[in-house]
Amino acid sequence: MAPSPASAITISNLTKSYKAGFLNCQVRPVLVGLDLEVQRGEVFGYLGPNGSGKTTTLKILMGLVHADSGTASVLGSPLEKRDWRARIGYLPEHPYFYDYLTPGEYLDYVGRLFGLHASARRDRARDLLQRVGLSGVADVPLRRFSKGMTQRIGIAQALMNDPEVVFLDEPMSGLDPIGRRMVRDIILALKKQGKTIFFSTHILPDAETLCDRVALLRGGRLLKVGRLDEILSQEAPQVEVLVSGGCLDELPAGVQRQAIGERWRLEVAEAGLAQLLNAVTAGGARILSVQPIRQSLEDYFLEQMGLPPGGEGARGQGRWELQD
Amino acid sequence: MAANTYRETVRERVLYNLVFFAILMTLSGLLLGQLSIRQDEKIVKDIGLASMDVFGSLIAIFIGVGLVSKEIERRSLYPLLAKPLGRGEFLLGKFAGLGFTLLVNIGLMAVGLFLTLLVTHRSADLHLLIAIYGIYLGLVLTVAIALFFSALASSSLLASVWTVCLVMAGRYSEVIRNMRQVTEVPPWLAQALYLALPNFRNFDVKDRVVYGQAVAGAELVTITLYALIYSGVLLGAASLAFRSRDLT
Repeated sequence: MAPSPASAITISNLTKSYKAGFLNCQVRPVLVGLDLEVQRGEVFGYLGPNGSGKTTTLKILMGLVHADSGTASVLGSPLEKRDWRARIGYLPEHPYFYDYLTPGEYLDYVGRLFGLHASARRDRARDLLQRVGLSGVADVPLRRFSKGMTQRIGIAQALMNDPEVVFLDEPMSGLDPIGRRMVRDIILALKKQGKTIFFSTHILPDAETLCDRVALLRGGRLLKVGRLDEILSQEAPQVEVLVSGGCLDELPAGVQRQAIGERWRLEVAEAGLAQLLNAVTAGGARILSVQPIRQSLEDYFLEQMGLPPGGEGARGQGRWELQD
Repeated sequence: MAANTYRETVRERVLYNLVFFAILMTLSGLLLGQLSIRQDEKIVKDIGLASMDVFGSLIAIFIGVGLVSKEIERRSLYPLLAKPLGRGEFLLGKFAGLGFTLLVNIGLMAVGLFLTLLVTHRSADLHLLIAIYGIYLGLVLTVAIALFFSALASSSLLASVWTVCLVMAGRYSEVIRNMRQVTEVPPWLAQALYLALPNFRNFDVKDRVVYGQAVAGAELVTITLYALIYSGVLLGAASLAFRSRDLT
């Protein structure tokens, strides 16, 4: 897959495996023939359960891990070239920074690596610390920082060079609700500036809120990639009807019913809605509401992972992985 | 990178070893004059130079190994390597930074030694600087060895063990050359090992300086080139190994 001018990230047939077991005799595939293209200006969510290959993909893109085969390019340049690195920002998963430095000193150090002038480093560091809510602790050594504060400084360092593409590996990890809101706002602000954001997460509501497109990964293989509305509308649309009173003995076939106190929640395929409403009216029940059921990304994700949405199986086997 | 490495070592209190050195110098300066006759000056110089070597080697080995291994284990180099900073530059920066720390450390120790000699009315011969220079070259090579193994090894413990082994072997390389006299080791193997191992004996001119013997300028040039070339080869190999390493 050759990079197009509009693409920020192009990944073609990327494969990676790690050696494991006694004497490294076993080979454990982590990524299998990954193809992906992220357009400039997109917020792209890279989703998958733990161990699905999200972090390995990011590490390959960042040059921390070498792919077994395949190619990738960022901003039109192959990974082997280093010119594009001045135009990107990266927040690793579970970041750790020099704890003998203060946030101000660390950002200054990062700015030096990008060749920024002293005044630009100072101004940029001040702005970013304010943006991530750390301006009050600019002179406190990082060794005194909590996990959430470390994550915030990680986001600040990723933006120090005003990057065109920002790679964020689990950016919400370790953050409290205020911190998550802050990261969401930063991502949306970056999008407004035309930046490309590629972020991995297993916190699906965040992805649903922020992403233009998402990719779903399982066992190192790409399951699905596309716009959220495309992915979530592929299933047959269902409608939820809330009713009270009356007699509901003669409902059409295929209607699922659930008692909620004095009321009934009825679920039916969109095609059977008119027939259901006629039956409800004929039974003398009062219609309280009619609304389409929008499949959530979490439901879709669980379905793709082979787990029932919201069921005990989901809670017991996989749903815990969706919570941070 | 080098400046930050120097800042790291200073903030991690590496230079605190100077306190022990100061105590050692004070004690030797005050007490040795009463314990020995005429030899006291030589003993003070010997203790001062040996302390520089021992403290410096400990810093070079254990801080040197930690500079890279610790960064890998803690993942603090991940965001750095994603920036316009090559892995070779990273290693070179660490080398230069720790090299400068050791220069400051040995420089302050040298000041301490000269002050001790002057205050206790002993001869503060400037030729001591030649011995100190030799010690520093050995420390530079030790840092290169530590970085080489930390770029290769999967843990800082392993890198420390390998570094200590090679430095010790290099300090006693004469023993390896003479192995053929006491064992069945083929002479060519003993000779090859002797030549391949870093020969720290080359840098040891302490005794000659303390006894007032001359050290030729050509010898200083030779040992300087030896330290630089050997360190350069090690750093080059470390850079190659580090570049191909997966940081998982």
